[in-house]
Amino acid sequence: MKARKIISGITAFTLICGTAAAMSGCGNTDKDGSSKKSGSKGSGVVLEVLTNRTDRVDDGSLDELTDAFEEANNCEVKYVGYADYAGDVATRMGTEDYGDVLMIPDDVKLEDLSNFFEPLGTYDEMKEVYRWADKKMDSSKNVYGVAYGGTATGVLYNKAVWSAAGITEMPATADEFIADLKLIAEKTDAIPYYTNYKDASWTITQWQSLVNSASGDAGYENTILTNKLDLFAEDGGYYPVYKLMFDIFSDPELTEEDHMTTEWESSKVWFGEGKIATMVMGSWAIGQFQEKAENPDDIGYMPVPITAPDGNRYAETSSDYCLGVNKNSDNVDLGKKYVEWFVKESGFAAKEGMIPTTVDSELPGNLSEFSGVTLFEKEATPDELIGKFDEIDTESGVSVWGGDTDNFKIKIAEAAFAGKGEDEFKSIISDVNKKWSDAAASVLG
Amino acid sequence: MTKKNRKGFLNWLKTYEGQKFVVSVLFLLVPLALLILFTFVPAVNMVGYSFQKRDQFGVNPEFVGFDNYKTIFQDPDYFITFKNSLYYLAGSFVQQALALLLASILCSKIRAKGLFKGILFFPYLMNGVAVSIIFQRFFLKGQAGLSPQGTLNSILELFGAEPRLWLDPEKPMLANFCLVFVSLWRYIGFDIIMYIGAIQSIPTDLYEASDLDGANPWQRFRYIVFPSIKPIISLQLILAVKGAISVFEIPYIITAGNYGTSTFVIKTIETAFSKKQVGLASAMAVVLLIITIIVTLVQKFFFRDGQEERIKREKKSGRGVRY
Repeated sequence: MKARKIISGITAFTLICGTAAAMSGCGNTDKDGSSKKSGSKGSGVVLEVLTNRTDRVDDGSLDELTDAFEEANNCEVKYVGYADYAGDVATRMGTEDYGDVLMIPDDVKLEDLSNFFEPLGTYDEMKEVYRWADKKMDSSKNVYGVAYGGTATGVLYNKAVWSAAGITEMPATADEFIADLKLIAEKTDAIPYYTNYKDASWTITQWQSLVNSASGDAGYENTILTNKLDLFAEDGGYYPVYKLMFDIFSDPELTEEDHMTTEWESSKVWFGEGKIATMVMGSWAIGQFQEKAENPDDIGYMPVPITAPDGNRYAETSSDYCLGVNKNSDNVDLGKKYVEWFVKESGFAAKEGMIPTTVDSELPGNLSEFSGVTLFEKEATPDELIGKFDEIDTESGVSVWGGDTDNFKIKIAEAAFAGKGEDEFKSIISDVNKKWSDAAASVLG
Repeated sequence: MTKKNRKGFLNWLKTYEGQKFVVSVLFLLVPLALLILFTFVPAVNMVGYSFQKRDQFGVNPEFVGFDNYKTIFQDPDYFITFKNSLYYLAGSFVQQALALLLASILCSKIRAKGLFKGILFFPYLMNGVAVSIIFQRFFLKGQAGLSPQGTLNSILELFGAEPRLWLDPEKPMLANFCLVFVSLWRYIGFDIIMYIGAIQSIPTDLYEASDLDGANPWQRFRYIVFPSIKPIISLQLILAVKGAISVFEIPYIITAGNYGTSTFVIKTIETAFSKKQVGLASAMAVVLLIITIIVTLVQKFFFRDGQEERIKREKKSGRGVRY
């Protein structure tokens, strides 16, 4: 009798524990914000737009921007912002009700686009008008989405410091870049280049984003594979970028003295105060640095200071989300009109400091230095090579985007810090070349 | 017949013995299930993975036999990190000697013994991450105009020394010594407590006898204390070997494994989660597991040996074995 009581007691206890554990896994963390407008105007047609920019929905600037469109088309535009855009919208797309206009989540496969979105035009028409027109295109060359803006790769610098050093023309080659950094070291108190090396595992990978621009080849990854190039071929993209890094890091005058001092958050403030002159960072960082700066206009962004082997300078651009029109919407035509207006006329991208989507548009102020540079988008990978680059990257252990302790970037940086000279650099890259070509031989056959 | 047997079993269950059995089994069921589910199953899987080439999602793993193990022992990038364990091993010998010295001092007649014991043991109680962050600041040189000097350089400056770069990319040895020092500082408290325990278990009549014979403190240590705590010393040394192989948090937080301070465990984690070679990382984990098992077996062997010797000796000296 007693034994049974004990047994049932234990069973009940385990059951309760189990359920409690299972239940604590559930939770509701929806964080949606929708724009509320008092006094609806117009004929009562409401266009629902789903967006990831909760910041611009919350501060009302999107609504303000849209007033002109609402008046001209006699309608009301309602913005719904999602903090976890891709996740929440994917759920809504399980039904037919996912707004009238929305940013196309990248999880939607290109061949599925026609099931969800209204075609906006053919690629041949669209590419005349818009950049990145092929980003949301299916195999029959119908375009389902237009990007609302894009970003370019480059180098972050403090304009005030650079001009205080007497530099008027931005560097176009690696040598000019280093000469300018030396000038800054000489004439100002600022640290010419800040390595952020304590957080090297990600800060050093920022250099990798310069590679395609430096190569001047929109399909550089594909070229490496098809022509079986050395990864660090001297007339390619990797060699000039990492040689530049090696040269800068080798000169103790040009970087901070104790590379373990880094504090990422403080470095943003120091940058704004003009104590740091330059950092290689993606353009995603511009906004963050401007936020921390006393004078946000000081934060400049220059194109990659490397001239490609063909004598021109390039900057790789990439688009942000693309706007698409819900196929099941009642207001398809109005939706299309909205997309065209938002991308062409609203001025949203320029206001956000992004590259506007229209081909002939002027670059925003913070990218004005890109005017003499050819912008290109990374070329799509041909079907037979899809995934091969990553496969070789993993198999060889080279890890071009990695920052682990035996990654070539770390080895190059530490050889430079230790003042080991050019030969060490050569031996590191020839080692990487060998690893890469061995793996390429086994993957590509 | 069977019915009778079953009845007998049921009756047995109702007895005190039977109930004890049922309850123990039930209580053991939950922890055992957790242990199997979260330790043994993953460990067995890991051994399986170590013979595969696989990425972090485990899509289309490919059986490659001993290739991963070959890579570990042939590619200098991998096995060479054991070299850094030698720094920690050397450091742990210093640590044991220092701990023994401090323990002997703390066992003699001095004031405020408890306070000193507390101070020396305190670092061991602190979280390893906190210790590492403290020492990250400690060794900094700092950047003129941006960030203040580290603690060590500020103190040295009070004595007129020039501030210097302690974590220096040009001198991986110095950087490693700095990290070994942190490890020593953190773990020495535990060793001291172990030695104090061992020393205090020595019967005081031995000291009295040696006093009568006119032994000096060194002789007393050499012929009484040292032989009595020999098993503890050998245990500590073997634990030190284990610790030296699996150093992780101190270098990972202070230098992130850069400046030539990477260890085998850091490399394993990077291989799995940053280079995405899960098969190779599993093989590294298996190698580490095997080394640890070997060291543990050696430790068991030595420890048992020491105990038996003592028992034998006690028998010989006619004091008998008391349990």
